[in-house]
This record gives sequence, structure tokens and C-alpha cells, in this order.
Amino acid sequence: MLMEIERIKGLNFHKKQDVAIVGAGITTFKRRLNETGKELSYYAVKQALEEAGLGIEDIEMVVMGSAPDAFDGLHMKGEYLLDGSGGSDRPYMRVFVGGGTGVFAPIAGYWHVASGLADVCLVVCEEKMSSCHPHPQSAFKYIWDPILDRPLQPNLIWIFALEMRRYMHVNNIKHEDIALVSVKNKANALDHPAAQLAERITVEDVLNSEPMALPVRRLDVSPPSDGASALIMVAPHIARQLTDDPVWVAGVGWALDTTWWTNRDLYFPRYVAEAARMAYKMAHITEPRKEIDVAEPYDPFDYKELHHMEGLGLARKGEAPILTREGVTARDGDLPTCPSGGLLGVGNPIAATMGVKVAELYWQLAYRAGKRQVAKEVTRGVAQAWGDLMQVGTVVVLSNKR
Amino acid sequence: MVFNEKIVDAGELKHIEGKIELYWIYTSGEAGDRFFKALKDEGKFLAAKCTCCGKTYFPPRIYCEYDFSETEFVEISGEGCVRAFAVATLDNNEESLKNPEIYAIIDMDGTDGCIIHLLGEMDAEDIRVGMKVKPVLKSKEEREGRITDILYFKPV
Amino acid sequence: MAVGKKDISCPPYVKGREIKAEDIKEGKVTYWEHHPDIRYSFTAGQAISRFLKGLKEGKLLATKCDHCGRIMFPPRMFCELCFRPVDEWCEVKDTGVVETFSVSYIDPDAKPLEEPVIVAVISVDGASPKMGFMHILGEVDPDDVYIGMKVKAVWKSESEREGSVTDIKYWKPLEG
Repeated sequence: MLMEIERIKGLNFHKKQDVAIVGAGITTFKRRLNETGKELSYYAVKQALEEAGLGIEDIEMVVMGSAPDAFDGLHMKGEYLLDGSGGSDRPYMRVFVGGGTGVFAPIAGYWHVASGLADVCLVVCEEKMSSCHPHPQSAFKYIWDPILDRPLQPNLIWIFALEMRRYMHVNNIKHEDIALVSVKNKANALDHPAAQLAERITVEDVLNSEPMALPVRRLDVSPPSDGASALIMVAPHIARQLTDDPVWVAGVGWALDTTWWTNRDLYFPRYVAEAARMAYKMAHITEPRKEIDVAEPYDPFDYKELHHMEGLGLARKGEAPILTREGVTARDGDLPTCPSGGLLGVGNPIAATMGVKVAELYWQLAYRAGKRQVAKEVTRGVAQAWGDLMQVGTVVVLSNKR
Repeated sequence: MVFNEKIVDAGELKHIEGKIELYWIYTSGEAGDRFFKALKDEGKFLAAKCTCCGKTYFPPRIYCEYDFSETEFVEISGEGCVRAFAVATLDNNEESLKNPEIYAIIDMDGTDGCIIHLLGEMDAEDIRVGMKVKPVLKSKEEREGRITDILYFKPV
Repeated sequence: MAVGKKDISCPPYVKGREIKAEDIKEGKVTYWEHHPDIRYSFTAGQAISRFLKGLKEGKLLATKCDHCGRIMFPPRMFCELCFRPVDEWCEVKDTGVVETFSVSYIDPDAKPLEEPVIVAVISVDGASPKMGFMHILGEVDPDDVYIGMKVKAVWKSESEREGSVTDIKYWKPLEG
């Protein structure tokens, strides 16, 4: 190679200005909502504007995040959603990395403001999975390789079941330990007004629930949902006018692993580790377990929260289930994890989970999370999502100190 | 090098055929539900007026896309003017249509909005831009709360 | 610019009207149902065309990159790590090791299956380590499958084979 190139960027890039979050909004998450995607987007944006104390006329640019068109059954979904997302007559773009979109959209919002192109950027995420029939999962039939995979009649849950089994095998983890995540998150969701599946359950309930693709059972999985969420990201001089306590974006990172997913060792999410390395470098974090106060890792499955905590460096390999059992990840623990109730409890409208990941982190760090506010004092938090053919990691680090 | 040993016989190259076996059920939403129920049950046309700037949307919406204010529903006549029209001689699959269909953008009276629908009871040669038209609905029993409850628009 | 942040603890309210599947069936809400007829014809390309031809002949073909030395299975025309063309074709064995597995009770539309299917990622012997291949296991009780189990492909008869991954019916435990 001619040049020595530093592969992980993050420190030496030219940033015009810092980026603050000053408002967020979320709709209710439900299996089936009457509202159209545009109407859901409008509800979320309206709430974010109200919290920020801004009007739509103050918005300079809009980033829209939404996962596969196949759910809503609309091609060019970004364009379809434009008017309900406040995109009329403004620079507007849609970003998409499958399930990772909910954290990738705020990363794109960050570029808009950090580069100086915009001082006020609105980020909207929407998903309406209930339109898709015979089942929202049917849409996933068409993400598999049409020649090598589809003839085997796969269900997407197969991938997760295979990954979960590998994770349990390599780290010698029992299903009981993993089920604790589902128990914790569904209970946390009792305090979230948007929640779809908030309930008090036990480890036995999870282990005895209907088998889907073993080891994955019904209560290991988050539900398909409809919903939308919004965030408002602004430059420092705007943040100063709006609030005394903005929450700052300290770092962002994203990475993708190979599409040949059967060629990876599935027990460790390298894509998350790479993305986290970039975000931590930007945020000057060297010891994430000590420096991160609250975490919102992506939890569409209970084992995924653990898997991602290890990818994020919040636990050593195989250590996340131990932290969970010891209560470290509880809302009153030393490292509160998914205090929102996560996807398992609040629901999983793919991209719109921005509302329980980045928006929740913002509310936690702004001390505005109400009943969900974690017990400890918080300065820095990390939110992460994962998606595509289980190969993308998207990470955002927020801080309430600039 | 393998890169140069390409298969050149087209018969040796494989392909796989498949079908996307999905279908979609779209709810018409909060504004759409009001609109279609009024159309179905009462044969009435609703539009939505922005409580802030006064812009009147048709079909109705629950929000104004320019100032993000709420809207209120207002009843309109359903009549309008042809803004533009086209004569379709081919269907979706580019097959010839026996009876060409005339589609028009119709600016709805009392609103800032429009609708794309069929024109009927007239010949293509007789249509003029700016022509006044009114809707012809299915009978009440036949109406389902869909855009096809309007059969077509005809000259006033 | 509008000034002044409202003092609200978030989310203070969430909007959205939940409906049930029955509400749509019973016509309580208006809707439009669309069944589009979308078909695709997906070309297999150079590497996979040859791979499928190999399957028809009862062979598992792979490609090798001389730069990193990996034998890649299923085969591809370029090494995605070295980003250069592959150097040669080779054959791998129809035996392998179960890397991970699942017992699926649902079909692609999330409907229950009458008989569960066992799906596995199999590291095929002769390919580089961790060159996993997803396929079905058979002739084995779900309770007897374990990670590290040696398996062998069970092929369809030559006349039944059509150049598809389903030319291998399933993989069964390798005795002895």
C-alpha cells in the first residue's frame, strides 16, 4: 500500500460546530395504528418542536429515517412521508441501514449540523409495519439471497436463533440468564406511555413461551409495531437561546461487516465494536464501562442487549449476563441499560426505535425522563442500533457536558 | 486467472425466477377515515382548513404541511374545474384499452387542493381546461369508503 | 425564531389510535387492499452459475484467493477482503461441522410448521475455517444435535437434481 491510512476516523476531522439535541418526540407504539405514516410523523415532529420551543419555520433541513419500503408497501417512502415530516420546501433526505436506521438517522442529522450546512436540523423516523401482509415478517423473505437462501424457506428469526445459540455456546450462557433481559425491559416499559408490551413477567414465562426458532421463544422477541419519533439537533448558538441544559452529541460511529454472514463467527458483534471504537474515539472515551453512565443498546431480542453491551465494550465477552443477573443494568444499578423498556417492552417499529434509543438517552441526560429517570447521576450515555443483514452497527454517544 | 475464464455460453448462466408474495392493507388514517366515511355514509365531500394560515387541503389532512398547525374539517360541494386531462389508451400492463379512459386533475372548489379522477359522460374532443365538473357517486348501498366510490366527474 | 422551551418531562403524551385486525375486517375503519403482481428474474452471475452447475453434478465448488489463501465457499469471483479477482476453482467435501443450529417452528410468514425444521450453519470441510453454509439437518432428533457435530450431505438422486441448493436434501450426522 502506498499510504498508511488510519482506518478508524473520529479524531482528525474538521467540524464546523458542536451539535446539541434540544427536543424529541415519540408516538405511541402499537401493533396496528389507524394513522397513516405521514400522520404519525406529524405527531412526533409536533411534540419535538413543542419541547424545543421551535416552530416548523425554524427548521432548516430534515433527515428522514425509515426501513424497508416493503413494510409500508410504498416505494420512495421518504418522498411519501415528506409533508408529514416537515420536509416541504427544504433540503430533505432519507437514510437507511435496515434496523440500524434509528441511530443512523441522528448520525446523518449530526453531519448536517456539525458541517455547518444547517444550524437547525429535524430528524424524523417512521415505520408502519402493519400494512404488510400476510405478516410483517413476510417482508423479510426478500432480504435473503434469492439463490442460496430463499429455496430453503427461511424465516428471518433463523439468523437470530443461530446467532443466539452460538453466543450461548461460546460464552457458556444459559437461556435463564438471557431471559432476565426480557423480564427487566418489559418491566421498565411499564413507565413508558408509548409502550406496547409492558408487563411483569418471570424468567419461567420466557422459557415456557411458544417456541419460534429455538432457542428463540415468543417472549425473547420484540413485537412488530407502528410508530414514529423525532429529534431536533441544533448548533451551539441556537441551543443557548433555547435552553440552559442541552444535551451534546459527543461522538458518532458506524460500521458494516461482510454480507456473507455465515462467514463470521456470530458470537461477537464486530460491527458494533468497530462503530463504538469510532464513536468513543471522537468522544475521548477510553474506558467505556467506567465512563458511560447509561446505555440504550439495541434489544430486538433479549440476547441482543447482552451481545451489544459486549460489542460496545460495556462488558467483557460473556460478562453481560453476569452484570444483568447482579442488577448492574437495572434502572437503579451502576450501568442502567435500556431504562426506556427498549424494543422488547416499548415495541419495535424498526427505524422509529430512535424514540427509545437516542431520544431516551437525550431525556435521561436532560433529567427529563420522568418516572423512567435512572437513579444515578448521569453525564454520558451511549445508544446503539443494529440492522441490515445483521451486519451494521450504529453508535451515538451523548453527554450533558460540552 | 479465474477472472478470465468467464462463462460465455448463455445457456450455462443460471437465473432464478420468483414472485413477491406480499400484499398490503392501507388504513386511510385519521383524516382519510373522516373523509371516506362522510363520502360513504352521506355522499358529502370534506376538506381540511388550516387554523393558522387558512390554506384548505383536499383531500383533507390533520395537519398543515407548511406551518404544522392543526386543521379543521369543512364541507365542500365536490365540484371543481379541470386543470389538465389525459386520454389513456393503454392499461397498466400496456395492453390496449377498448374504451379509452379520460383522466383529469380537478381543482376542487373552495379548496387549494385537487384530485386525480376519471371524466365521464363526455367525449375527449369536448373537454376544455377550466371546464366545470361535478362528481357522480355510486349508489349508497354500493359505496365502500374508497376513492372508487366516485365513479367519475361529469360536466355541470 | 420562537423562543422559550416549554417545561415538559418527556414524553408527556403520546398520540396514535390503536386498532385491531377485526376493525379492518369488519369495516370499522376505511382501508384499501392491494395485491400487486410483482415478479423477479434474478441472474446468478458467473460464480454462482458455476456453483449451481456443480451441485447438479453432485460437487461442491469453491474459489481460492492466492493473496490471503482463503478457500471461499460458496464461491465468489472476487475476494472481498483483498478486493482482487480469485485465482482458482477447487472442490470442497460434502462433509462438515455444525457451527450453530436452531429448531424452527415457523415458516417464512411466521405461520406454525407442522413439523419443526432444524437449520444449521455448517463449516464445510476443505473450505477455510468459518466458511459457514446455511442448510437443513435431517435424520436426527432435534435433541441430539450439538455444536461441533460432524455431518454429511444427503443428495437428491442425479435425475432429480436441478442445479439448486435444494439438490442437497439435508445434512445428516456422520456415523463413526
